[in-house]
Amino acid sequence: MTDRRSTGADAPIIEAPLATEAITTQRRMSDARQSTNFGGRLKHELQFIRGRGALEITIVFVVLLVGYVIASLVSPTSFAFLNPNNLSGVISQAVPVLAILGLAAGILMIAGEFDLSLGANITLSAIVFIKTAEGVGLWAAIAAGVLCGVLVALVNGAIVVYTRIPSFIATLGMSFFWMGAGIFINGTTPATLTTSRDETMVFLFAQDFGFFRSQIVWLIVIGVLAWFFVHRHRLGNHLFAVGGNPAAAEAISINPKRVKLMSFAIFGGLVGFASILIAVRTSSMQPGGSATEDFTLFAIAAAVVGGTSLLGGRGTVLGIIIGAALIELIRNGLLLAKAPGFYITLFVGVTIVIAAIFNKLMEGKAR
Amino acid sequence: MSALYRLTGVTKKYGPNTVLDDVSFEIGKSEVVGLLGDNGAGKSTLVKIMSGVVQANEGEFHWDDAPIERMNRDVTERLGVETIFQDSALVPFMTITRNIFMGREITNRLGFMKMKQMDAITADVLDSVVTIEGIKSPKQLVASLSGGQAQAVAIARAVHFKRSLLILDEPTSALAVRATEALLNYLTHLKSEGVSSVLVTHNLHHAYQVCDRHIVMNHGRKILDVRREDTTVEELTAAVVEGAEGIRRYREGRF
Repeated sequence: MTDRRSTGADAPIIEAPLATEAITTQRRMSDARQSTNFGGRLKHELQFIRGRGALEITIVFVVLLVGYVIASLVSPTSFAFLNPNNLSGVISQAVPVLAILGLAAGILMIAGEFDLSLGANITLSAIVFIKTAEGVGLWAAIAAGVLCGVLVALVNGAIVVYTRIPSFIATLGMSFFWMGAGIFINGTTPATLTTSRDETMVFLFAQDFGFFRSQIVWLIVIGVLAWFFVHRHRLGNHLFAVGGNPAAAEAISINPKRVKLMSFAIFGGLVGFASILIAVRTSSMQPGGSATEDFTLFAIAAAVVGGTSLLGGRGTVLGIIIGAALIELIRNGLLLAKAPGFYITLFVGVTIVIAAIFNKLMEGKAR
Repeated sequence: MSALYRLTGVTKKYGPNTVLDDVSFEIGKSEVVGLLGDNGAGKSTLVKIMSGVVQANEGEFHWDDAPIERMNRDVTERLGVETIFQDSALVPFMTITRNIFMGREITNRLGFMKMKQMDAITADVLDSVVTIEGIKSPKQLVASLSGGQAQAVAIARAVHFKRSLLILDEPTSALAVRATEALLNYLTHLKSEGVSSVLVTHNLHHAYQVCDRHIVMNHGRKILDVRREDTTVEELTAAVVEGAEGIRRYREGRF
């Protein structure tokens, strides 16, 4: 002990190299983690790509798409995939709605939360949109529809964030409340767009331009905005931080509650907007109905298929859009092959469970 | 040496349990302080209070002799306190760059991040400040790093942003021997640059090597606060294991 004390308080005790050039040079010269054999390199590369995106799912999507095209070329009548009506209906009508809802659910999932009242939110927002359009006018209706989505989601978000009830439970419960709210506002008869469904409204949200429709334009606009927000904006970075490791985010003075509320608000805005697309296309909305319920799990499935983690902190905008496109492609394929429609529900259910298992395995390895 | 950070009479209760009982101490400028104690001694709570994440029930805080009126994370962030929690300082599925700039992103006026600039700075920081072997690119995910590399990235972040007080909560528990040595050396190196640090650890030998002063906690109370010259590993061991009784017996030569 005595000789240790004599070294003085300021002298470093260990005679290992200090944190300077010695080790850094070594780092540049020899890369300890670089495997030499092909298998090791491939494994490393896959690990590197893992979790950042849409690679695998894009491959699946492209393969399936090529399959469909070939099948349709071989037998254009029995598998009419390339029929312009079919293409326009799938690619620019069904895909955009699911993709926007998938982005909503996905952004919330990146922040580590869920909102199972998505379907109920669509119903309520669509009713609010329809009633405002009929009573006031189109522009007020658009604002009201989106705002309704935001408010519904913010109430859910506030409950989740301030009570710390798991969002699964809280939003599942609230889902019934919002369904009831739709009936409360409109009664049990469907809300219907009549005189207000004029040319402008249709042009904006449901116009068929031949080979594309209005919805796809919205998807492109929202997709680009979402990409820049999620992957390039400061607040997008905070989404990943809070979803990936709330403790680390908080330690660095990011407020997890604020970020989660923000993600609920974005979720609500996108759901509100999607509900307008749905309302204008179908012209009516049944309060308390089950027509929109499927969207909840389909949106989560689109996000999950697109590589979004069920545990938060991972996901990409492009992946989610391709995930949504893939689900709609499969749905369309089943339809064209005249398979029973519930097959798609089977597929979505199985996909979510498999994704959950897959997530668990990957997350386990990363720790 | 005037105090950088002074805590006076800090008390924290969770329901009926008093986790911290009237704890007072200070951290000097350019000083490495070891915060020692057994499990349940109140170290983690104390760290959270010092970093402003958790609020104390009672207690005063002074920074540079100026009183801190309301303690919270925003205040400590502004003062330059950075906490590196064990295993959880970084977000695994974010790149190194995004982790380093997390919460302090370089953005344009609209809040969009300048990725190229941040990547370049990160590459620079990784090359110059820390001892990290095997990191290929700032765009690598933190999940692909080893425990030591990740710890080093967390420290690089603190260094780059010129933090004035670094609180390391069990930083060595997940590290290999070599990485531990580099880390401990690094604290000494930081001291020469005027950064104070608090090293929270179970490992008395690690603490004894680098800390100028040791504070030992036991059941929520401070039982020992002593400069390295005035103590030995044996006394610290006695204090951690047996509390105040252990210190008394050690000093009477009966340990």
